[in-house]
Amino acid sequence: MHEAQSAVPIARKPRLRWDREVLLKVIYAATLVLVVLLVMTPLAALIYGSFRSSAPGVEGDWTIANYANLASANLLSTIWLTLLVGVLSAVFCVVIGTAMALIIHRTDFAYKNIITALIGLAFYFPAFILAMAWIILGSPGGLINFLFRDVLGITDGVKIYSVAGIVFVTILHQVPFVYLLMRGPIISMDGVFEEAARAAGARSHHVLFRITLPLLSYSLLSSLILTFVLAIEQFAIPAMLGLPGHITLLPTQIYLLVRFPPTDYGLAAAVGLTLAALTSLAILAQRRVTRAGRMATVTGKAGHLRTLPLGRWRWAANTFCFGFVFLSLILPSLILIYMSVIKWYVSNPFLAQYTLRNYEFIWNSADAHKSIWNTLIVSGVGGIFGVALAFLTSYFTVRLKPPSYRLLDFTASLPFGVPGMVMALGFLWAYAYLPLPFYGTLALIIVAFITRYLPYATEAIGGQLVQIDKSLEEAAWVGGATKLGGLRRILLPLSLPSIQGAYFLLFMAFFREMSSVVLLFTSNSKVISISIWGFFEGADWGLASSFSVLTTLIIFGVIWLIVWLMPAARRV
Amino acid sequence: MSITVRNLVKRYGQLEVVHSISLDVADGEFVSLLGPSGCGKTTTLRCIAGLEDASGGSISIDGKIVSEPEKNVLVPTYSRDIGMVFQSYAVWPHMTVAKNVAFPLSVRGVSSDEIRRQVDEALGIVGLTELKDRYPSQLSGGQQQRVALARAVIGKPKVLLFDEPLSNLDAKLREGTRVEIRRIQRRLNVAALYVTHDQEEALTMSDRVIVMKSGHVMQAGKPRELYHEPVNRFVGDFVGTASFLPVEATGDPGVWRTADGTSVCVRRAAMLGNSKACQLMLRPESVSILDDDAQAAGSNSLKGRVLEASYMGPYTEYLVEVSGGTLKVHSQFDFAVDAPVQVHFNPDSGRIVPGE
Ligand SMILES: Nc1ncnc2c1ncn2[C@@H]1O[C@H](COP(=O)(O)OP(=O)(O)OP(=O)(O)O)[C@@H](O)[C@H]1O
Ligand SMILES: [Mg+2]
Repeated sequence: MHEAQSAVPIARKPRLRWDREVLLKVIYAATLVLVVLLVMTPLAALIYGSFRSSAPGVEGDWTIANYANLASANLLSTIWLTLLVGVLSAVFCVVIGTAMALIIHRTDFAYKNIITALIGLAFYFPAFILAMAWIILGSPGGLINFLFRDVLGITDGVKIYSVAGIVFVTILHQVPFVYLLMRGPIISMDGVFEEAARAAGARSHHVLFRITLPLLSYSLLSSLILTFVLAIEQFAIPAMLGLPGHITLLPTQIYLLVRFPPTDYGLAAAVGLTLAALTSLAILAQRRVTRAGRMATVTGKAGHLRTLPLGRWRWAANTFCFGFVFLSLILPSLILIYMSVIKWYVSNPFLAQYTLRNYEFIWNSADAHKSIWNTLIVSGVGGIFGVALAFLTSYFTVRLKPPSYRLLDFTASLPFGVPGMVMALGFLWAYAYLPLPFYGTLALIIVAFITRYLPYATEAIGGQLVQIDKSLEEAAWVGGATKLGGLRRILLPLSLPSIQGAYFLLFMAFFREMSSVVLLFTSNSKVISISIWGFFEGADWGLASSFSVLTTLIIFGVIWLIVWLMPAARRV
Repeated sequence: MSITVRNLVKRYGQLEVVHSISLDVADGEFVSLLGPSGCGKTTTLRCIAGLEDASGGSISIDGKIVSEPEKNVLVPTYSRDIGMVFQSYAVWPHMTVAKNVAFPLSVRGVSSDEIRRQVDEALGIVGLTELKDRYPSQLSGGQQQRVALARAVIGKPKVLLFDEPLSNLDAKLREGTRVEIRRIQRRLNVAALYVTHDQEEALTMSDRVIVMKSGHVMQAGKPRELYHEPVNRFVGDFVGTASFLPVEATGDPGVWRTADGTSVCVRRAAMLGNSKACQLMLRPESVSILDDDAQAAGSNSLKGRVLEASYMGPYTEYLVEVSGGTLKVHSQFDFAVDAPVQVHFNPDSGRIVPGE
């Protein structure tokens, strides 16, 4: 018993007396208010605007004419065309993307590493640059038509300014996304189901079509819906490929209604809400599918998946994968590099005259510097604010669950269903009524970006936060830490990988974003995508190309830098 | 008293899972909360820790009220000054062993020299001094357990709380760790409340055991009391092994009648209240088993038939069918399955308890 006295002496004294959780409550209130303001302001303004007869800030009347005008033949055909482009792109993307994932991860495909790396780069290749490259390649005087006409003698060549052109480039742009979505389920599938089928006498193609693909059906359906959503809400590709040929989809329709006279902001709002309704419905459906899939798929331990020998299909697989990467990344990059260093356009590189004047121009252009700076600020600084807000949001909705956290959860996930173009339109309507000197500032663009991408970042961080065992945090409270202390000392370090991942995601998204910004920029707040588009519209393809080449280099450089600085970021 | 709980109530929405329970843990005492799964042990413990907000009643730790919702008193966990070991250990994967153990002191702003000294001491107590710079992923389950223990005891908290800390260990390690936990708790002379659903663990470790069932305390007492003097069939059944036969009172004190009318003499009985359905409780080691034709050793004999025999080494466990039920009996003699036998017990070894 004498031992008891020599035991560890008493040194646990409570330091402070008042309720140390007050700060946390303040932070929660601030987060809730901020998220609700960010999300609800544009949406409310949009709904308000859709019932107004005049432009934002101008006196007008209440009306339902905007909704009545939706039913015009013109707009109805736009809606149909949008859906058509969405469905076509989604189906092709899912077929191609899944095939690539299967080839890369389930067969003895020899170039796994290089193809995965190239698809990764293609994923970050901005849509507006891809679209531009394909216009250069496929326009009436472009390289492809030159080959068709002058070399092969085919008179009616390809028409890039067409619905088919839009779908084609959309597919090139989105297949990497499908590949990344499908890769996880394909790798982590439980091999035992396939083994059972093989034991029952099934051949490889039976196993694929009767077991593997049906088991992946929830993931396939979910990818199909997500790709559909991306295809109907995208702006850059339909704007660059569609507008010259008078093909409008819903997002480009909004752009025309707002930026070109005769403007009609009220109708734009109604069109925007229609588009948002379509994407929201699709996202809701996708969530149901994922939830059902989570219950249905019995995921076992990874491994034990047999790799199939390609055999005599090897050449087909190689051609397929390298062919895709060639069309979506290599050929576009090459043509842009070529365009950026020639004096004037010649299809035959051996006859061209080379120059660096485009790069010199950009090197000396204060305007170009400004838009690069703006983009870096928007992405770098905006990303930090976005991640901070997303971390707090998911901490409150996933872990602490204070009263009314459901409101926070719901509000923060609303932007999932709101396309960037529509969100921007909402902000356009809103700040006509807000006493904030926001118009034409980078702050406004950052605010729009954060709002738009908040649910993606929240999901990325929340996904990791739910996996951290609750008792790790409780052990800190028992050890004498406040909730805020536990957050800082336990949760924050443990969720660092997902925070880095979310930052990477936001940085990349902000850097390449175009649709949320075309309605909000002024000459002072131009970002790279807008500048490049500006050069391109001004028929300055050489400048547009050199700027695109530089942008692509910056993007790949940043990817390299971020992956090098924060190795964990890659995993999200 | 180090922990005093009075009429603790815990509700989740409409659902009341802890119904007004009271318990005490004295200074230096080791008390177990024992009960079947879902009976509210963890909930009770977490209310004491402040990880759940109690809905009613009061809880005091070391004489200070820490929870009394009726008076709006809810002291946050961080100022309750407790140590707790979780079922999953909850050793933080991003901190070394030393950092993990130092945490309770470092959040309280203790000087780093002092922290270092106490960490060494705490790690010494659990025998992990060599591993202090390792990360949890480089430790075995048993070692992580010790880190959790060291973290719980550092700086000598007022009370130690355990929530099934041994359930993730394998059987051998579990026995060793029981002794270890008890040794450390005695050495620190601190009150401990230990949640378990393993009756053997509760009996071997505790000064006192509190048996719970669906949110109520059934009985609290020393292990011996619970084993020999359970207040009802539930406790008798849950603590140790027992067989039960329905019996009726005869009017004579101490004499009871079994289902086929045989009279038995049982001297010990629990408080029966006005419970009609009484049960005769018999522990397997206090019943003897004889050949059917052997001379009855006394009055308390019941005729039966062997249903099953399981050889256990030191004894054989028989399941004997008698009128009104089956009895478990331990015996060193051999009987064939299906053999007619008689069982016999001493009037002092049976116990009458109220049934369900
Ligand atoms: N958050 C909650 N919401 C609703 N009911 C709960 C909640 N947590 C626990 N319960 C219920 O309270 C009851 C007691 O749970 P508790 O975890 O205290 O049981 P336990 O005795 O520790 O069981 P075990 O031995 O299985 O750990 C259970 O019926 C459980 O379903
Ligand atoms: Mg429990």
